[in-house]
Amino acid sequence: MFERITKKGGCMKERYSNPYVIGVILGLILLFTFYTMGRGVGSSASFARIGTAGVNLVAPEHAKANGYFSTYLQGGKSPLMAWLVFLTLGAALGGLFSAFISNRIKGEVARGPSIGVSIRLWLALSGGILSGFAARLARGCTSGQALTGAAEMAFGSWVFMLCIFVGAYATAYFFKKEWL
Amino acid sequence: MGPLYKFGWFDFVYSLQLAGLIGFMFGFVLERAGFGNPRKLTAMFYLKDFAVLKVMFTAIVVCMLGLLYFSVFGWIELEKVYLLPTFIWPQIAGGLVLGIGFVMGGYCPTTSVVATVSGKLDGLIFLVGMIIGSVFFAEVYPVVEGFYTSCDMGAIRLTDVFSIHSGIIAFVICLLAVGVYWFVEKVEEKFGDKDTLPKMSPKVKRTAAGILILLGLVLAVVNPDQIIARPAVSETQPEKRVESVQKPAASSETPDATGFKIVDDEGC
Repeated sequence: MFERITKKGGCMKERYSNPYVIGVILGLILLFTFYTMGRGVGSSASFARIGTAGVNLVAPEHAKANGYFSTYLQGGKSPLMAWLVFLTLGAALGGLFSAFISNRIKGEVARGPSIGVSIRLWLALSGGILSGFAARLARGCTSGQALTGAAEMAFGSWVFMLCIFVGAYATAYFFKKEWL
Repeated sequence: MGPLYKFGWFDFVYSLQLAGLIGFMFGFVLERAGFGNPRKLTAMFYLKDFAVLKVMFTAIVVCMLGLLYFSVFGWIELEKVYLLPTFIWPQIAGGLVLGIGFVMGGYCPTTSVVATVSGKLDGLIFLVGMIIGSVFFAEVYPVVEGFYTSCDMGAIRLTDVFSIHSGIIAFVICLLAVGVYWFVEKVEEKFGDKDTLPKMSPKVKRTAAGILILLGLVLAVVNPDQIIARPAVSETQPEKRVESVQKPAASSETPDATGFKIVDDEGC
């Protein structure tokens, strides 16, 4: 069942759980988060906090003077002592556990069959930079803004989610070779 | 009565442990769905596999219905739940760029974490890219601040925009969900790979769709906003709440009595 049919990374033949079942479970996890914490999930701010911690380590004066970094440095605490950072750590462990029990842990560069490793990694880096920037601009990512906000019927979150799909579908053609 | 944290059921340190637990479940189900695999994630943009859309939409609908039913039953006070504010143009721009980043890099922020731990080097590189992107945003913040803080519409909901009560909105979203599922499955049938698509009997699908529409319809008739507005419903169990307050609040970081101060990044 777990055999890999394509030689390139990121197998397309792997069978995963039913998306509707996963969706219901994820919705219940989100509901549990709202019920206990009064807020939703998210992860992109963790990366902003890691970045802030790095800058704060190298150039603390610079970080404190910056209008955006300084919001993460309030109260003299480490920027990493935050709820979302712990959530992201948990997500890493949960993902690791799930991949482990299904024997899906494998060092590889996931990509389509007609693209090289180095170009795939450059595209991953560029996509990451764009996503990191965009998530800060929109005050959240797919989970923190789209998923959480949409469940609360936040107007901006629904518009944001729609725009993710518009942006992705509009440019998908140019990255066809990367995935297909 | 929820949200438990905002009623002082536990302190900040415990909330961090809870974050770890919630995160664990979150990461676990994302990996189960195959969201550690960028080819699975991006297959949606090539009309082959709409798992991302199905998972997201289902999670949104389930959580939305849950929140509304909980509030109707008086189990949660929605006013104390942090609502993400709307800054419409920054969010439109951010959404478009995030979409491009998604199809270019193959991940969105949380899924790249799952990919990294399952051994994908590109996931790690994407993650590093996100940190660079976030730092870059902070460095150019003086330039983008004007745009970032523009178009502040406050914490508004679809109900405010359309001036319809949340029960009807929920019902429409349920109908929309069923319509979207039906549509994307038609598309998948045409372009997708039948071996990897989930198999479900039409009977199960019809039943699930029926339950979803019924739950939405009940809310549309009940009108949760009206019930929430009426204070008589808030029959909390005082004895239970007293019990919880007795928990030693060891940390100095418990939510202060002055209210529930919104931390800057409480949204995401």
